[in-house]
Amino acid sequence: MADWSELAEALADYTVNCNENERLRKMQRDWSRTIHFTCTDTGTVFSMQVEKGEILSTPEGHIGTPDIVVSTTSEMFCDMFWGDLNPVQNYLRGEIAVKGSQEDIMRLDAISYVIWPDS
Amino acid sequence: MSSGDAQSGAALRRAVGTATATATSAGLAFAAIDYLGVISVLAYAPGAAAVTAILIGGLLVLLIAGIFSELNGLYPTAAGIRMYLGRAIGTRPALSVTFTYMSTVVLVIAADAFLIGAAARHVLHEPAGLTYVWIVILLALALAANLRGVRLAGWVQTSVTYTVLTGTAILSIIALAHSGRAPHRPLELFGKGAFSGVQAVAFALFLYAAFEWVTTTAEEARTPRVITRALFIAPILIWGVCTLFALAMTHLTSFAAIHHSSYPQLLLGSAALGTLGEAWMLALTILTALNTFNGGFLVASRFIYAAAREGHLPRELASLNVNAVPWLAVASLAGVSALVAALVFATGEWLLLVSVGAAIEAAIYALGALSLLILRRRETRERPFRLIAGRPLAALGVVVFSAMFLATALSDPKHPSRLSPLPLAIILTVTAASAGYMTLFAPRLQAAAAARARVGKPKRRPQRALVGPDEPDAQTPATGIADA
Repeated sequence: MADWSELAEALADYTVNCNENERLRKMQRDWSRTIHFTCTDTGTVFSMQVEKGEILSTPEGHIGTPDIVVSTTSEMFCDMFWGDLNPVQNYLRGEIAVKGSQEDIMRLDAISYVIWPDS
Repeated sequence: MSSGDAQSGAALRRAVGTATATATSAGLAFAAIDYLGVISVLAYAPGAAAVTAILIGGLLVLLIAGIFSELNGLYPTAAGIRMYLGRAIGTRPALSVTFTYMSTVVLVIAADAFLIGAAARHVLHEPAGLTYVWIVILLALALAANLRGVRLAGWVQTSVTYTVLTGTAILSIIALAHSGRAPHRPLELFGKGAFSGVQAVAFALFLYAAFEWVTTTAEEARTPRVITRALFIAPILIWGVCTLFALAMTHLTSFAAIHHSSYPQLLLGSAALGTLGEAWMLALTILTALNTFNGGFLVASRFIYAAAREGHLPRELASLNVNAVPWLAVASLAGVSALVAALVFATGEWLLLVSVGAAIEAAIYALGALSLLILRRRETRERPFRLIAGRPLAALGVVVFSAMFLATALSDPKHPSRLSPLPLAIILTVTAASAGYMTLFAPRLQAAAAARARVGKPKRRPQRALVGPDEPDAQTPATGIADA
């Protein structure tokens, strides 16, 4: 199980990778969403505020009204934010649960795909 | 998602409610090809007997609604039927079936493009050859809109669906008022023989086809019950509209005139209200394409994207353009649809599309029932909807829908008195290609992806020593980390 400090480290790396990727920023230029994350094993919850493709913050706790809700284990979240797993495979195996529109779910996966094409 | 139960307590900002989900379900089902579907029903159940076939088809669809409601409750995911089948019969067979299932999307897109092209050409009194120009223009517009990431807003989709359903119903009522006759011998469903009656019901089933695709929106529904309600309400709406349309067709037009026409709805419009009625039905036909092109391209291209990301299709098919659209998947769909539409245009076999589509849908319904039968044994957890007498009804579904598959796969609505192996041959070819691909090529793709991951990409996540339960907890930042 990963604690919040590990998640925070992974999220920090993910944020830098997203925000510094010009192609991704252009692709997500019209995408502004609030995302809630829930660790099913530790109960840790955190949020991600995305504004026109830029990740503005990833605070602990659920902030605001979500457009997307993602639930999985803390370990899987860490691996996902470090780009060590392909989220689609785990999603289709039912290991990552998502609530949100199909388009938003694809956009969320597209972030990992653009940053780490080999994931 | 497998469970979808461990979620945030907060409701989604843009959650889908019953009215929108019902419109999505009805809109996916009621495409321009449904007008030809009614003609196919009339080919086997002449006159008012078609009404009985549409009613029986509707009752069978309610069984499907129950089966898919329970499956959706177990796995509320955009992967839909692919997930149900995957859990029941394994990933590879499930993907083979789903690839075949997705070919119905191509059929419906091609059919809509062809039907609108034919209808526009007829209204504008243009030479027959211009039909294909219209088809190419329509598909090019749909392709461009999809590549630019243009989506119909939910309220537009809902408005379009209810406009098409209401518009078709109102024109049918006006046509019936013109005729003033009562339905004649509606119960003579088997007047042309027992097998003809079964074929009529099987084609009636096709009028509701794709209503179950609303399960792919399960993750944005306010509650699982929203999808269940949509699955039960949408078929009732379609039943009402198709019944009125079939009755109006029977009373106001001659079957000989509409049987060989690719725009029977325009002939009905013309018979009911002259030029105004024809324009009315043309407008409704074009409106159905908005839903078909929007929903069809979206569902199929996202399925292709996910399969490519998962490693079951070449990774190029997951390539995204600057609008975050899987451009190669969308362009491939448009290209194949244009090819199918060209074949239909060249051969004049538009009713073959109905036969193939109806047979594939019946097969999917049989497999859906089989999945429930298997998963009733494997999945004991609670679900939001549980079909009463689920096992016997699912077993009944397997038998009935398999029979429906054969009834449509061996039919030729153009010549209803004889059997044709052509639809079955087309389906078997597509299925064999899908199965062959999944057996021979997909494993190689996955092996190559795994090798790439082993060689080219070391783990990025830093390794940490395990923290024991009695050791001091790690530092816990309390605020955001954007500046970290």
